[in-house]
Formats: sequence, C-alpha cells, structure tokens
Amino acid sequence: MSDYIVLVKQVPDVSQITDNAFDPESGTLIRTRLASVINELDAQALAFANYMKTKSGDADAGIIALTMGPPMAEEVLRYTLSRCAHKVVLLTDRALGGADTVATANPLAFAVRKIVREILKNDKDYFVISGMQSVDGDTAQVPPQMAEELGLPCIAYVTDAEFKGDRFEFTRIISGGSQVVASKTMPVVVTVAKYEYPLFATFAATRWANQTELITWSSEDIKATHIGVKGSKTSVIRVFPPGKSTRKCRQLDGPAALAKAIMESFKSGNGESDTGADAQARGYVLPAKRADLLDRIFEATAKEQDDYELLSAKLRELGITDIDKIDEAARQKILSAAGDRFHKKTLDDMLSGYKLTEPAFKGEVWVVAEHSAGVVHPATFELTGKARDLADSLETKVGVCLAGYKVEQMAKELIAAGADNVYVIEDKLLEVFDPKAYRKAVADAVAKFWPQIVLYAATPQGRMLAPMVSYSVECGLTADCTGLDIKDSSRKGDIGLLLQTRPALGGNVMATIRTKNSRSQMATARPGVMKRIEPDESRKGKVVRHKVELTDDDISLEIVKTELGSGEVNFNADVIVSGGKGMQSRDNYERLVGDLCAGLGKALDAQVEAGASRAAVEQGFTERVHQVGQTGTSIGPKLYVALGISGAIQHMIGVANTETIVAVNSDPNAPIFKQCDYYVVGTVEDTVPKLIQKLQSG
Amino acid sequence: MPSNKDFNKVSVLVVGAGPAGLATAIQLKTLKPDIDVCVIEKALDLGNHNLSGAVLEPEPFHTLMNAAAPGWRDSEPAKDILANVIDKDDIMFLLGRKLAFNIFFAMKLGKALGLGFGQMIHKGDYSVSISKLTKWMAGIAKCMGAEVLTGFAAQEIMVDHSGRATAVKLVDQGLDKEGNKQPNYVEGELIQADFVVLAEGCDGLLTEQFIEKVQLKRQRPQLYSVGVKELIAVSPEQYAKFTSGRVVHAMGYPIWTPVFGPGMFGGGIVYAGAKDHLSVGMIVGADWKYCDFNVQDALTNFKNHKFVNQFIEGGTVVEAGVKMIPEGGYYAIPRDPETGAIGKANVMILGDSAGFVNMLKIKGLHNAIDSGMQAAKAIAESLEQPETAAQKYTDSIDASNVAKEMKSARSFRHVIAKFGPLQGMPLSVFGGLLPQFKVEPDYQAMTVANYRLKPNQNFDKDTFTAVAATEHREEEPSHLTIRDRTICRTKCTPIFNSPCITFCPAGVYETIHDEVKPANPSNCLHCKTCQRKCPFDNIRWTVPEGGGGPRYKRM
Repeated sequence: MSDYIVLVKQVPDVSQITDNAFDPESGTLIRTRLASVINELDAQALAFANYMKTKSGDADAGIIALTMGPPMAEEVLRYTLSRCAHKVVLLTDRALGGADTVATANPLAFAVRKIVREILKNDKDYFVISGMQSVDGDTAQVPPQMAEELGLPCIAYVTDAEFKGDRFEFTRIISGGSQVVASKTMPVVVTVAKYEYPLFATFAATRWANQTELITWSSEDIKATHIGVKGSKTSVIRVFPPGKSTRKCRQLDGPAALAKAIMESFKSGNGESDTGADAQARGYVLPAKRADLLDRIFEATAKEQDDYELLSAKLRELGITDIDKIDEAARQKILSAAGDRFHKKTLDDMLSGYKLTEPAFKGEVWVVAEHSAGVVHPATFELTGKARDLADSLETKVGVCLAGYKVEQMAKELIAAGADNVYVIEDKLLEVFDPKAYRKAVADAVAKFWPQIVLYAATPQGRMLAPMVSYSVECGLTADCTGLDIKDSSRKGDIGLLLQTRPALGGNVMATIRTKNSRSQMATARPGVMKRIEPDESRKGKVVRHKVELTDDDISLEIVKTELGSGEVNFNADVIVSGGKGMQSRDNYERLVGDLCAGLGKALDAQVEAGASRAAVEQGFTERVHQVGQTGTSIGPKLYVALGISGAIQHMIGVANTETIVAVNSDPNAPIFKQCDYYVVGTVEDTVPKLIQKLQSG
Repeated sequence: MPSNKDFNKVSVLVVGAGPAGLATAIQLKTLKPDIDVCVIEKALDLGNHNLSGAVLEPEPFHTLMNAAAPGWRDSEPAKDILANVIDKDDIMFLLGRKLAFNIFFAMKLGKALGLGFGQMIHKGDYSVSISKLTKWMAGIAKCMGAEVLTGFAAQEIMVDHSGRATAVKLVDQGLDKEGNKQPNYVEGELIQADFVVLAEGCDGLLTEQFIEKVQLKRQRPQLYSVGVKELIAVSPEQYAKFTSGRVVHAMGYPIWTPVFGPGMFGGGIVYAGAKDHLSVGMIVGADWKYCDFNVQDALTNFKNHKFVNQFIEGGTVVEAGVKMIPEGGYYAIPRDPETGAIGKANVMILGDSAGFVNMLKIKGLHNAIDSGMQAAKAIAESLEQPETAAQKYTDSIDASNVAKEMKSARSFRHVIAKFGPLQGMPLSVFGGLLPQFKVEPDYQAMTVANYRLKPNQNFDKDTFTAVAATEHREEEPSHLTIRDRTICRTKCTPIFNSPCITFCPAGVYETIHDEVKPANPSNCLHCKTCQRKCPFDNIRWTVPEGGGGPRYKRM
C-alpha cells in the first residue's frame, strides 16, 4: 500500500496583479498586496496523487499534505483537505523564515522523515509528490534538493503515470521528447509538470476541512540542520522592476496590415531583440589590476557604489593616499567631510575594504556540459561563451565538466567555444542521463577541483542536475539566471563575487542574488539569453580525465521507453511558425501551420520551420520535437509567428531571442499580446488563410 | 474524511452571500448562537459578485450591527467602508451633450408636499462599495460562527409535494464542453436543510425555479433595469472638485430627450468612492425598444457629457461591472396565491430575489438587509415547525418598513412602463390611485427602431470584461443555452439583427458560421440580461461551476 505525501505551497496570485500592487517609488511589486493562493502546479500535484491512488486501485492509501510557511499557509492545507487529503501538516516557525531553496528543502525533508516515522509508522512504501516549481520562485530546486537530503531518487517533469501491477511507470518530459521511467527503489520523489484536471472542492469536505485540526510543527519539532536565513546559501541583495519590454505590442486591424508588417520587419530586422542584463555588463577588472586602489566602480549595490564614490572623492580631496595611516583624527575629518553620511563602523568597514585585492572565491569557472547522441546542447556553448567572459575578468580558466560515455570527442568543439580545460568523466553507466549517477559524477569532480563558479543550462536536465549537485557539495544555487556579472561587495569584505540576476514572481520583479556560506557559486542560466562566442578552432585546451567509481546501485531509474520527436526539425530556420491550443485540432494545426510555413517561405525566400506550444503537443496536434519553450527548445529566429498561443511565461522565455514576434489569437486578453511586436485579434481559421493570400499578393 | 457527521446536512442553508443572505446569518447568530447556519456563494471570493451604486441607507444596517457586533463603528473596516457620508445630493437633468440643470429643488418640493419622489433624497446615507461591504459582513458572520463557503453554485431546489424544500443540489463540476465526464468530475452534492433562504440576488435561478415549482404568483410581471458601472481613478483635483460626500443622479440625455426621443427609463449616476475614485454608472429600464441599443453606449454618451466629463477626463477605469435590478415593485413580489407568503413552507425569498427595490428611492440595499433580519427572526421562531417559517417571515415583512416603502412606490415603475417616461413620470405622482393595468414583460418591448444617439465607435467590451476580471474554466459546458436555434435564424436575425450580440455587455454572443451563439460564455458577467431581453425569450442562463464569473473587489 503506497501512501502519498504531497508538498504544497502558498504563493501570491500573480495572475491577478492589481494597479495598487506596485510600489510607486521603487516600481517593485509588493507581495503582501497580492491575494494568496495555492501554487497552481501543487494543486495539480495533489490531483495527480489522487489520480495515482485511483490507478493503483488502493482505496485505503493515505494522502498527506505538507506545507511550510507562515500561519496563514494553513489555507492551502484546507484546500487539500477539501479535496482529497486525509491529514495535513503545517510547518511554521519564525526561525524558518527568509529561507532559500536549501533552507526550504532541508526542513521539508526533515518533516517528511517525521511524517514517515509518526504517521506512516515507518512504512517505506510512499511517494513524495509536488508541483515542478512554484510560481513565485520558479526555481524547481526544492524537490530535487529534498530528494538529495532524503537520499531518494527523483523523477522530475512528470506528465502521466501508469500502474503496472507492482509499480508505477512515469511519463516525463525530456529535451526534445518524452520518456517513460520507473524508479528502481521506493520511496521516490515525483515532480509534476502538468496534470490537466485539478480537483474540485466538495461541500462536505470543505465543511470538514474547516473544522479539522491541523498538525502543526515548529522548527524544534523537526530538528532540521539548515533553516532560515542562517541556513541559506544564497541571499537576495537587490530587487528591482524588470526593464520595460522592448516589444512593440502593436495591434493591427487585419491580415493585410499583418502581411505588410511581416514583410517589412523581416527585411529591416526589428533591431530591438532583448539581450537581457547581459548586454550592459561592463568588463570587470580585479582591484589589483586597477590604476588606483580608491577605484571602486564595481560595487554590488547602488548604495554601496554611491558610498564608495563619495568616500573616494573625499579621500582624494583630503589628499589621503595611504589607507593604513588613517588615525582617529583623520577619521573624524573624513566623517565630517562626508557630511556624516556614514556611521563610524561603516567607515571602518569601507576603509578596510580598500585593502582587499584578493577575490573571495578561488578556482576556475566551470560549465557542466549537456549533450545527447554525441552532440553538445547549444545552451552549453552559450555558457562557455559567458564563462570565458567571467574567467577573463577573474583572470582564471574556463573548465567544462563533460560526463557521459564516449564523449571525449566533443572536447575539441568545447575548447573552440572557449574552454581551457575539459574534465572528461567516462563511464558506461553514464551512457544515458540518470540523475543520481550524473549527480555523483559531477559532484565528485567539483569536490576535487573546486571551481569558484559552476554554470548549468536551465534545461529540464540542468534544472534537475544542478540542485542535486549543489546540495550534495553544500553550495548555493540560483536558478534560471538571465544576468551573470562579477561585482565587489568591498564593504562586506568580498571581492569578485558572481552576481546572479533572475526574474521572479512570474517575471514581475527581478532579483539579484549572491552565494554565501559556499565554496563555489552555482547558477543555471536560461538558454537563449547568454551569447555564444565565434568558435575558434585554433584555440588550445587540455583534456583532463577524471575517474569516478560508479556501480549499478548508482542508477536510480529504469528507462522503459524514450520517445524523441520523429523527423528532423530545423529550429535554426529564419522563420518559425508555431501553433497552440487555439488551433483546436490536429487537422487545423497541420493545414494552417503548414500552409503558412509554405506561404512565408515563398514570400520571404527564407527557411521556415513549424513549432508548437506545450499545450498543442499535449493535445496531440504535433510531435514533441516541435515544442518551443522552456521545456521544449529555445529558439531565436528572425521572425516568430504564434498562432493561437496564449503566451505563458514558459513559452515566451523560449522565444525571447526572436527579433520579431507576431501573434494571432482570438482572446483579446491573451498575455502574448503584451510580449509581441505585432498582433491581430481573431480566430486562426479566419486570419491565416487571408494572411497567406495577402503575402502572395505582396 | 467526513465520517461521524453528515456534512451534507445543515439546519439553515442560505443561498447567496450578499447583503440579504449575510444579514440573515448575522441576525440568526445573534438570536440563536448555537444554530447551524451555512451560506453558500457561487463567486470565487466574497464580494466578487456584488455590484451596486451604492447608496446605503443606514437604518437597518445599524440595527443589525448594533446587536451583532457592538463597537463595530470603531473597527477598521467601518472606517474604510463607511468613510463617504453623503452631504451633497444633486439631481441633474441633462439636455443634449452640454446642458445640465440641477432639479434637486423639485425633490425637496416633492418631499415637502409628501409626494412619492420626495423619497429620492440621500443626505446622511453612505456611498459605499458593496463588494467591500459584503466581504466585511461575511467576516462578521464567520466570526459569529456561521459558515460562509464560496465557490459553491446551487443549480436546483428540491421540493416535496407540500411545497417544502428538501434539498438544494449543487452544480456538477468537471464536465467538458460536450458534457462528458472528465477525470475530476464531481456530481453536484445534495445539501439537505431544515430551512432554505433564497438570497440569490436579481432573477435568482433557484428562486425562479421555486416560484415555478410551488406556483407562487406575481400580480404583475417583474420588470428589470440593466445597470453598468465603472470605477474610475481620477486626479486628486477632479476628486476634490467633485467632493467625497457627493452623489449625482442624472435624468434625461442620453436615454430620454423631449419630442424626438430616445425615450427610455433610467438615468446616470456619479458617486464619490474611496480616495480619488468615482463610480460612474448608467441604469436603463430593460423595456427599451431599440434593437441596436446597449446600455454601455448610453454610458459612453453619459461620460462624454460635459457635466460628467469634467470630473473623469483623463481618468482610468480600474474596475467595471454590470447587474440587473428588479424594478417591478410591490405587485411583482412573488407570493403564494392562497396565503400571500413570500416563499412557501420552509423557504423564504429575500432581497433582490423577491424584488424589494424601492423605485422611488432607487434603493434596495437597506430592504435586502432588513428582509434578511426578518427571515432570521422567522427562523428563530419556527425551529420546531420549519414549515411555518415562510408565513412568519411574510407577516413580519408586511408589518415592516420594507412593505411600507414598497407600497408607497407600488405603481411608479409600471406606470412608466405603460405610459412611457414623458407621461408616466407625472402620472406616477398619483401612485397607487391608478387602477391596476396590464404590463408586458421587458422582452416583448423590442422593436425594429434604432437608438438615435448610437456612438460612432463600438464600446470596448474586451477591456470592460478584463477589468471586471471575469473568468470561467474554459473547458466547462456553456452555461448559456439558446432554446430554439431556428428562431434566431428565421425570426430574430432577419427582424432585429440579433440584439443579444449588441446588448450583452460582456460580448458573449457572436455570429459564427452564420449562427448566433453564446460563443464566449467564459466572458459572462452573470447579469442575465440576455435571459430577460432576448426578444423571443429564447435564452436561458444557468449557473456555471462554482468560482466562475466576475471578480469585483471595489464595485
């Protein structure tokens, strides 16, 4: 009899952001002004647990919901009780607040242990089910890190489950396709990427839920090892509003105007493609290489920067050059010259900051390579480009960690793309990606060579592997970065930090994060955001072979079946035409997308490829290999035409690098209209044939 | 899960968490703290389906609160929600797009002479957000131990042979567009109750069903108005110029102008809201005769009138919504033909569901609250004999201020419906002196005439529904049905050019492949205008899954 422990989280409702939710001064979103709801994917995970229970035919299986949060988080537990949960546990304590993913995964894992001990009576036949990620954090790190803490296998990005008499087989999303896997052992952690049928509350269960006592545990009760701010390995140093979208968002009144806009923008280029924070990065120089010690132009926050600029100016005015010779009298002079802007302690900290020239972290800048069928994933090359940049600033080398079987041949290409050293871990057991085995291999190499920075691609694989590696080597990790910069926090005694900038709260705010209490700084970076460098075949690099002891026990999952999309898909085409759920049927998809591909190919004399949203693939309109987006392929064509696609953030991330985005949708409130250049409100059946006609007539 | 107690049984079931239903719960808990009372509401959150001007006449509310929550006046919500006390009461007559005359003196004169329309004076009342008021009242009801459950939509009322309600059935959830069961299908639960309080609001689904099932009768048909309202964020200067204690009621343009028309009943409102917000609305009698008319078009004209425009120009519409108002008055209250009960046996009909709107005051909120209190008293007095509750409730209503007011205004709206605004208004002074006469239901008023003042541009319904934040699960079956499609094709479209496409304020109806359909049911704002205004009475509204519909927060 399997039981189900379902993790749920209370999140701000980012689907309904009201006009008063933004701070008028700073422009940032005020979280407390948003309504609180259950994280949508967790609601799906709860329904998925119920679905598994039904499939297994075990009516007595228990469903236990667990959440960690402030006391008001009990609302999400009542949500679960009013649907299918039998027991609920609220983990709440001030000491648990302010946690990053490590300090969230750790206490949750300890709570799961307590649930197993006290509620499941040590029965090890259970599943931990959760949504793939939360809408506020968007990191997808907590479940794999929890699995790591519990020493359990983790199956991520699951979309379906089939009961095979004695075990469950799970269908999960992988890059370019899907895979059916089963865990070799129980218990197992499962994260749900999509389950279409969240449960409805019943009247009776809702009344019962409102009267039922919750089990409430404090930090003392679970005795976790990493909690709260202190147990966290990253900290947010700045929150700011996202830059104004550079998309034009222009509504056109029909197919004729749309055809004209497509022709013109394709010829001239939009010239406004979003390159993210990356483009603004100034070349960082280590303090030791700067002309003047008073030169502190790379401080982490605007406040630190302003303070140092003021102090340096005052020191120059007062003619002070030797920091060591500043006595009490000189200090007083400085303080009054600065108009008492600083406390004495601040001044002391800043003065000792001048003396720092050594970076806080040491070692190479690493990239963990992703590959399949002997081909390096394009996102890896984007990372080696970025790593080259960072390593040059820090005056260190770029290393690439390449784990797999018969993979050494890829080293050459990686060196051409910017690597100095390629650390190759070859093993037959690494022939296909198994999270546990790969985690062991990569973590072993990291713990031997201790790079100061490790970058992973934010692909399904990278988002799975990175949290497990980082947790096992006790380092902080930031997910889905769109900006990576080297900065100093001299006042706090840190030089050459990696500042990791990422969107949060569904893209409504940006956060800059630093790693702390860690030997290495780790981040996953969004594919398509960093720029790869021109391959240079003449570059010289070294291959370092690293041996890791692996046994069959390190393989956690049995792969039943892998389905990579059939046929060749050329996502490097200049034009991609994608269809979404709004296509209604496979017939419509094939006809309309096909015709428009042909029409555009002729009119623009360009290569055109068909794409699809995740929803369209789920509906069976086309094969998985055509899926565009965060869980599919990230693309950057000159022209992207989205037909009947709503514009979910996961999809839009995958097309961020496109020059011109054109959308057709019958819903005038479709989010895609705020993230595209040109759009027409109308049904695809009606608009597309007319558009093709207009393209033909020029 | 539920084991030792049957959670599908309650003592008192209130359908609808509006002012009437919540007043019942609060008053009942005041009288009988141990009673088991459960209020169900179809909206996702409290206040989400409550829309009104709103002017609140304080009396019944104060009485309710004084008994239930002494010290309520000093609470934070009271200070926020009741901040706008009306000290300036304007009644304007608009003529053309620029002229405006203040005719408040006529109301004062009317009051002095004891004429009916003298009741339309609001000084000392509150200008409130009814969404907020409802949410606040629900909080108080919950504090007192009542259960208030949102997201549960009632679909049917079960009645035995004696006319006693045995249960209320909730809507089935988890069906797909074609009505097939999805994996998360839940059959609508049956809730058994000793007492059923129908406080659904205007044109209530269960109320109308119940009237049909137990053969309650209205002496004259219920008449409706359609009110659209926008909450507009204006500049501090505009708000200061309008002042925070002011309400404006306007007559005339753009729905009634002398000689050449148009000739419709109703008017515009501008009410002061919270800081730098004004409520601007247009209410039009649903017996309009123009087949291309949409109340939102009248709202556009009203907003562009020089008098209104000065206060809102450059402002942003932050919320918007629509509802119907039952205006039939005293003779349209559904009653048992034998006993006169407003309801039957253990079922009571309250507030807008009963039609307790005083058309001389154009207010019903105070009567809704009052009726809720009377229902609570009736229940408290008939715990041993639930089947006597409806009669006790009715006796109490008939002896109360609710009935007194309703009687004083008994013929006002019907006279205008019969004789038109020009002759009807003056005639209404004679109120109840006129003999009873026959009035047609609203839908029969449609003609092929056009609205002469139609604005050049179509109203932006998309933005309107977006700020109303309406949402339904896209995959659920349509909750709107066209009874006979051939009527649309052979009669309505050729004669009237499908008025539903125009008058539906949410743009639900569209012609697709030459067929008129409720193509976008997920945009529906639950106003039910289509059900009452389709010229062939060919549309039916039922409840969608719980949680669907608009999400008003400050309406």
